[in-house]
Order: sequence, then C-alpha cells, then structure tokens
Amino acid sequence: MTIMDKSRLKSLWVLHYDCGSCNGCDIEILAALTPKFDVERFGIVNIGDPKQADVLLVTGPANNRNKDVLKNLYDQMPQPKLVMAIGTCACTGGIFHNCPNTLGGVDKVIPVDVYIPGCAVRPEQIIDGVVLALEKLKGNAPVEEDE
Amino acid sequence: MNPETLVTINVGLPVVSALALLVLNDKRIRTAIVSLSALILVSSSFLLYQAGGVVFSPGHIFEQAVVILDFALLLYFLYAGLKTKSPQVVLLGLAQIIPAAYFEFVVKGTHVENIMVVDSLSILLTLIVNIVGSVVVIYALSYMEEHEHHLQMEKSTQNRFFFFMIMLLAAMNGLVYSNSLYWIYFFWEVTTLCCYELIRHDMTEEAIQNSTLALWMGLVGGVALIGTMFVSYYTIGNISLSDLLVATPGQYVLLAFALMAIAAFTKSAQLPFQGWLLGAMVAPTPVSALLHSSTMVNIGVYTILRIAPAIQGTYLTYGIAFVGIFTFLITSIIALSQKLSKRILAYSTVGNLGLMIFCAAMNTSLSYSAAIILLVFHAMSKGLLFMCAGIIENRLHTRAIEDWAGLITRLPITAKVMMVGIISMFLPLFGVLLGKWAAIGITSTAPSILGMVMVAMMVIGSSATTLFWAKWLGSFVITPLVKGTAKNEELSAGYKLSLFGVLGLNILTSLGSGYVIKAIVTPIVEMNYQLVWNIDVLTLHSQVGDFMILPLWGALVAIFILGNLLFKSKGGEIKPPYLSGENVKDNPIAFRTTADSVVEYNVAGMFFDSEITEARWVPLSTLAGVLLNLALLALVML
Amino acid sequence: MVNTMNLERTIQVLFIIFAPIIGGLLAGLDRKITARMQGRVGPPLLQPFYDVIKLWGKEPFIASSLQPILVVGYLVFIMTGLVLLAFRRDMLHIIFTLTLADICLIVAAYNSGSPYSNLGARRELLAMLSYEPLMVLTAMGIQIITGSFLLEGIFTYHLPLLVVLPAAFVAQQFILIIDMKKSPYDVSGSSHAHQELVRGVYTEFSGYTMAIVELGHWIKTVFILGLMSYFWAQNPIIGAGLALSLWFIAILVDNIYPRLNWKHMLRTTWITGFTLILANLVGLVVLGVI
Repeated sequence: MTIMDKSRLKSLWVLHYDCGSCNGCDIEILAALTPKFDVERFGIVNIGDPKQADVLLVTGPANNRNKDVLKNLYDQMPQPKLVMAIGTCACTGGIFHNCPNTLGGVDKVIPVDVYIPGCAVRPEQIIDGVVLALEKLKGNAPVEEDE
Repeated sequence: MNPETLVTINVGLPVVSALALLVLNDKRIRTAIVSLSALILVSSSFLLYQAGGVVFSPGHIFEQAVVILDFALLLYFLYAGLKTKSPQVVLLGLAQIIPAAYFEFVVKGTHVENIMVVDSLSILLTLIVNIVGSVVVIYALSYMEEHEHHLQMEKSTQNRFFFFMIMLLAAMNGLVYSNSLYWIYFFWEVTTLCCYELIRHDMTEEAIQNSTLALWMGLVGGVALIGTMFVSYYTIGNISLSDLLVATPGQYVLLAFALMAIAAFTKSAQLPFQGWLLGAMVAPTPVSALLHSSTMVNIGVYTILRIAPAIQGTYLTYGIAFVGIFTFLITSIIALSQKLSKRILAYSTVGNLGLMIFCAAMNTSLSYSAAIILLVFHAMSKGLLFMCAGIIENRLHTRAIEDWAGLITRLPITAKVMMVGIISMFLPLFGVLLGKWAAIGITSTAPSILGMVMVAMMVIGSSATTLFWAKWLGSFVITPLVKGTAKNEELSAGYKLSLFGVLGLNILTSLGSGYVIKAIVTPIVEMNYQLVWNIDVLTLHSQVGDFMILPLWGALVAIFILGNLLFKSKGGEIKPPYLSGENVKDNPIAFRTTADSVVEYNVAGMFFDSEITEARWVPLSTLAGVLLNLALLALVML
Repeated sequence: MVNTMNLERTIQVLFIIFAPIIGGLLAGLDRKITARMQGRVGPPLLQPFYDVIKLWGKEPFIASSLQPILVVGYLVFIMTGLVLLAFRRDMLHIIFTLTLADICLIVAAYNSGSPYSNLGARRELLAMLSYEPLMVLTAMGIQIITGSFLLEGIFTYHLPLLVVLPAAFVAQQFILIIDMKKSPYDVSGSSHAHQELVRGVYTEFSGYTMAIVELGHWIKTVFILGLMSYFWAQNPIIGAGLALSLWFIAILVDNIYPRLNWKHMLRTTWITGFTLILANLVGLVVLGVI
C-alpha cells in the first residue's frame, strides 16, 4: 500500500447533505461526530465544502427538487469520492417509497457506494458503514495516476 | 551643451510648444509637436543631470517680463473671480495684487543676485516633471481624442487643453530652478492658472465650480508666498531663497518658512486644503495624472524639502510633520469608504503627499531620504494608476469600482497594468514600500514620544492603505463572469507607449533602487545631512536595517516558474464556485432560488459605510486642519 | 568562535528545512490537545500529513489558471519570510514579505468569484489589518531599543526582549490566535472543522491547491512561533518554551471562547495590543532606557 493509499484511508473529509430527510438520520450523524463517538480519531472531519470532501453523506429520499442539487454537489467533489446513503429513505425511499413526489433512493440520481439502512440509523451503524467504505477504498484503484 | 542652455530649454521650450499648440489645432501637428517636445525635454533633463547644476541669472529683460506677466496673470485671476462671481477669488486676488504692486514699484525689492539656482533637488524634480510629464501628455493625445468623440464635440478644444498642459511643464521647471522668491511665486501662480483652466476644461457646471474652488485655494498659497516675500525682505534684506535658508533662524525667519509651508499645504492639498484635489477629479483624466499625482502637487513636497534643512530642530519642523502625518492618517481612512476610482486615487495621493511632507519635516538624514524615495516612486505609480483608470473609465463608462469587477477578463491588458500599478503602491518589490520602510525607521534617530506617536499614526494609516489597495486589487481578478462581457480592448500606440513606458520605468527603477538611491537620492541628502545609505548588490543598508529588493524579485521569478510548472503537470478542471449546490448550468454566477427562479448573485464591496462617512469625517478633519495651520503660525510667533 | 557560528548556521538551516514537518506536527499536536480538552481521543499526531497527502492526490479542480500560481506565491513568499527570519534579517522587511504572501492568498480567494470566498477574503484582509500593525509596532520597538530593525540586534542586546518589550510579547498572543485561525478570531476561515461561510477564504481551494495552502499555513505558524522565541534570544530553550506556551494558550482560548465578529477582533487587538505596545515604548522613553 502506497503512502497515498494509506493517507486516503486515514483522512476522510465528509460532506453532509440532507436530501429531504425528517432530520432523524441527520441528528444521528451529528451525534456520530460528537465527542461521545469521536469519529475525528479516524481522521473524519465534517468539512462543509464539496470541493474538499471525500465522502458525501446523504439522508432522505431524492425528489424532483433536490435531485439537481444532489447531482451538482456530487459533481463538485473531486475523485476519489464515496457516497454513503444513510437511512432507509436514502437507500430505497423508505417510508416514502412510491410517493408521487419522491424519486426513491438516492441512487436514482448519483452512484452510491455504501447503503446504511435504519430509521433512524444508529451512530454505531454509521461508523460500521464508514469501515465498509474504507474497505471499498482499499480495494479500489485510484481514479487518476498515482504520484 | 552648457547647463544654462539646458535650463533655458527646460523652461523655454514648453512655452514655445504650448503657444504653437494653442494656435495650430490640428491632430497630426499636435502629435508631432508633443512628441518632439517630449523627446527634447527628456534628453535635456538627463543632460542637466549629467551637468550637475548651475547658478546664474538670466538677463534683465527676463526679470521685466516676469513682472509684466505676473500682473497680467493677477488681473486675469481678478477677471475670472468676477466672471464666476466668486468673492473669495476676488478678495484673494486683491490680497496679492496690491502687496505685489507695492513691493515691485514702491519698495523695489524684487531684484536678486542669483535668480536661478539649479542643484540636485531641482534636477530631481525636473527629471520627474519632464519624464513622467511627457509620457502623460502623450497619453493625453489618445485620451482627449476619445474624450471629445465621446462628448460628440463639434469643434475641438484640444488646443487650449494642450496649451495649458505643456505650459504647466514650463512653470514646474521654472519654479524648481528659481531662487528668487518673486520668481518662485510667479511660477507658482502660473501652475495655479494651469490647474484652474484644466479643471474647468469641459465647461460643465461641476467643472466650473470645482475649478473655482481650486483657484481660491491656490490663491491662498499665493498670498502666503507674498507674505514670505515681505517677511524675508524686511528680515534679511532680500528675497533670495538661498540667503533665507542660511540666515540665523530667528522668529521672523521662521515665520517666513511657516508661510511657505502653508503655501506648500495648499498646493499639495493637505488638511484643510484637501477639498480642491478631490473636486479636481471632475477634470479629464490626463489632468489628474499630470497635475494631481505626479507633477504639480509635488511642489508642496519640494518646498518642504527645500526649507527643511534650515528649520532643523525647531518646533516648526515638527508642526509641519504633524500636519503631514495627520493628513495621511485621515485621508487613508476616508479612502476605505470611497467607491469611485478617481476618488480613491485622489485620497491616496493626498495621503502620500502628507507622508512625504512628514518625512521631509522630521528632518533626519533617513527621513529626508525616505521623502525623496517616496516622491520619485509615487509619481510613477500614481501617474500610471490614473492613466489606466482613465482608459478603463472610457471603455466601461463608469467610475464605480464595484462595476469594474472581473476586469482581468474584460480588459486584460489594462487590468494587468493597473494591477501592477496597485501592487507597486503598497507591496515590497517596488519603491514606494521602500520609502515607507525607511520612514518607519525614523523614530530611532530621535526617539521622542511625539516622534513615536507620529510613526504610530503612520502605521495605522499604512494599514488602511493596504486594506483599500488589496480589496481593489482582488476585485480585478473576480473571474466567473457571464459570457459576452469581454470587450475588444484596442489600445492606441500612444496608450501603449505611455502605459508600458511608465510601467517599465517603475519596474526598472525598483529593481535598481539601490542605484537610484546612489545616483539621485544621496546627492540631494548629502547637501545638508550625513549619509546613511550603504548600497551593495543585493541589499540596501541604511543605518536602521537592510532592505533586500532583488531576492524578492528572485522569489517572484521562482513563483512564476514553479507555478506554471505545477499548473502544467497537475492541470485542473475549471469549476464554477460553490453556491450550495444550486448552480445553474452555463451561468457561473447564477443560482436557483425560490420557485426555481434563477438569480445572479452579487457581492457588494466592503466600504465601511456606517463607520466612515465623508459627511462626518470631512468637516471635522478640515476644521482640525485649520486649527493645525493656525497653530503652526502661533508656534513661530511665540 | 567559528564553531558556535557554524553551529548557529546549521541550526538555522535545519530549522528552515524542517519547518514544514515541525508545522505539521504542531498542527497534529494542536488537534490532539484540543480533542483531549473536549474529552475525546482525537486524531493521530500525523493526521495533518495524511490530510495534505490525500489532498495532493485528489482530482484537480481549480477556479482559474491564475489560482495555482497565486497559491505557489503564498507558499514561496512565506518560505522567504521564514528564511529571512532564521537568518535574522530586517524585521520590517520580513513583515512586508509576509504581507506579500497574504495578498497572494487573498487575491487567489477573490479570483474564484464565489461569494463565500469573497467574504472570506475580505475578512482575511481585516484580520491582516488587525495583526499587521502589532507586528510593525513590535519591529519599531526592536528598532528603537537595539538601534536597528535587524533581528541580529536582539541576540547581541544585553537584555532579553521579553524584559524590555513585555507588551509586545502579550500582543504576539493576539497575532498567533488570528494566524492560527482560532476562536475568538477565526472569522475568515477556521482551523480544520469549524465552518464559517462554508470554508471562508479557503472555500474554492481543492486538491493540490488546498494542500499547498495548508503547507504554507503551517510554515507561517512556525514563523510566528519562531519570532516569539526571539523574545528570549539569549537562550533558545527558554525562547521555544515561551513560544510554545503562547501556542498552548491559543488552543486553550480557542476551546473556551466562541467566535466573535470582525469588529470585535479589530477593536480588541487595536485597543489592547496597539495601545499596550505604544505605552510600553513611551514607558521606555520615560524611564530613560532609550
């Protein structure tokens, strides 16, 4: 494993976007970032800027209003990037599945790497999901030429 | 070619050219005369520099001519005052004509042994006037064509315009060569005339009002100089400046100098006389570039540089310094609130002149050097900035700098030149900052509480200038703009010559600032003070520290090379800015908002509107200025 | 005699070469201490290095072709300032060199055109307006006391600078807090996680440009700490101790105070810092020290 790979695993900067969620999952995400769970020890930092983020945490179902914003934020993130759909609404549309105003899960708009179901998701599950994401990163070759 | 001839050329040639330009109102002839005059003046100033200086008196016929022209001038001022119904002008005109007549015909005291004394200081001013002045006049050729085309004028009044522009060069040269207070006073009032006529050139209501303001404030200076003449004659028996400078500084000699200082304040628009310079911005931009930044306003600084050696250690000199630094502080802060390009430049000019006056009046070898360094580099930088501002204003039809955002994509060449001009005003790599660095070192040579307070004022003012230059600089490069805002930027040959000429000169003299100090600054300082500079290849050593310009330029070159290498190797996709994910396709500055409507965002500039308002600051500071000037006079009388 | 000079030179050169590493380690230590103060474990010490390396490897997005050059300008001018500081050159000249670096960053932030970046850039200017006069006054104090702006003068003066210019030392605390972008003065772009106007002045930097800016920021912090250590130049251990204690206080203050706005920043730094130093200098004149 090169230094670059190791650094990518040890430094995950997160962009958190609420796509129409009831805020239940969002509160749990914030809880994960608090000192009780302290995800910063894994190098995870909630940076609000897509241009500097590695992971996009999405909650809530995709709908016609937020699909453009979601796509835009995803496009503004440079590779290598991961998307984590947090909560059942983000995974499949959840309780709002098949409602006329929702499109369903977030993967209808952008490619998702990790699905974390739950309503609401528990912080421990979020951390598990991050570990899964890291595994995925380890297995993936980086998108562009390595230094 | 002997120095007397060179002096005569420097004063006489512009007069001849001006008259020719007045009479021959043809574009091509005008270009030829201006270019030829420029060439001759630049050459003659270099030759005069080589010659080193001279002391002589032109013939008696010239003395008589000056008297006749002077009274003609004063009568014209009275006429102007009556025509514009300005009581101040009439009263001040009378306050000059009556004493002058008395002095000339009753006292008969106007004769002086050596009328022309040309030394290193005179030559420095000549170099600035002839070189920068010539370039600005060449710029004016292109500018006035655009200006008159814009105003859709049927008959060109450029003959009058260029008559006064070139006449100013003659008057400036004459002033700095003169040793007779009467001749100094005469040339001084000729510059007032040129200033008046040039500000009112466009003949709009605003122009006429502001030119009258400039006129009466200038006349205050004239009255002060008449006062100086009288005091000098009745104290030392003649009106030779060189004799006055070596006289024992008794109460009345100091009064003469105080009056000269007040005259200097009127010319350099120090508090409380700053109003005329701000108002003068209504004039066509070449006027601002020539008179109000790089040549005429330097007369005030020149005066203080002349009298400073004679008033070392007196309370007067610190009083003058205080007026200078106070002006610098106040104008730098007010400039933070200004939204119009020329007003920012005007306030900055007044402030920098105040700084130069402060340095000269602090009267140490280092501070005197700092004043001269600032004088030289400020003339180039400010002239360049005004010229660029004029071009941009002509193209965009606005002076509001908020509307100038993103100029680097709309008018790339002019924007880049202006950006370098702004950088040259407040960042190391260029000479103005070298001057400021030297100025901050003043306190060491005489650590007094007043000295420290004044330098602290300078530090605050300096920070304010950094702020307003930097925010203006940043606004030039705001890039994502809607397509179709790029303009065709056609710069005439005259524009290119003037912009790149001054820019090139600024860069060369900054790179070679050590040489400039050795060749130009030290001869002047040496006349009256001990030397403090020790120049070697990389470093300028002064008695208080080292300034290294060349390593910074080396770093700059490294940055360009490394930056370009980095960009070539890593590249990068250009992305629109972050707008919370609501970016609109194809419009980098628009975002989607309520009801899916598309709105373009707009970030207003930072102007401290609630804290710094001209309505509050200007009257208070003008009042403070009046009190300070009165205090100066009181200082010498007590 | 030659040996001490060689030793000094070697230390200076090593200081310059290792400044980025020292800066990164200090940043890591900063995050660790902050975490412990907040009752957390915190990231590993080498975390900042992982961050910068990861940033370097990201797909490059830039705001314009000017941005990489300006960002390199920021880094190079800060390094120049550091070199001049290490070799004890003219303090005022060094301050102006740092201004050059800051202006490069600010213009790069304006360059992107983003409203967040724009607001961050102007707040960065206000931050500069807050601390630069303090640095210049400190330089003035050094010049008045030792006779020259050359930092070498501090080393040959018979008293440590802390004794003659205590107010300037206190003012350095303000400078450090503003530079490290710690509360209460983190108005233009907070240290790592805390958001202000998205990322404030850093909003539109990404990938390799962000990595270079981070690197530059580390070196700038090392620079200021180096300057603080000169307040006891006669003994570098004590000097480093002084610098590190102010650094620790900055972290402590960050965890206690909330963010204030720019007016507060300007007011407190000027009223406290500026006036203090001026009073210090006047006091020295009155006491006859200078």
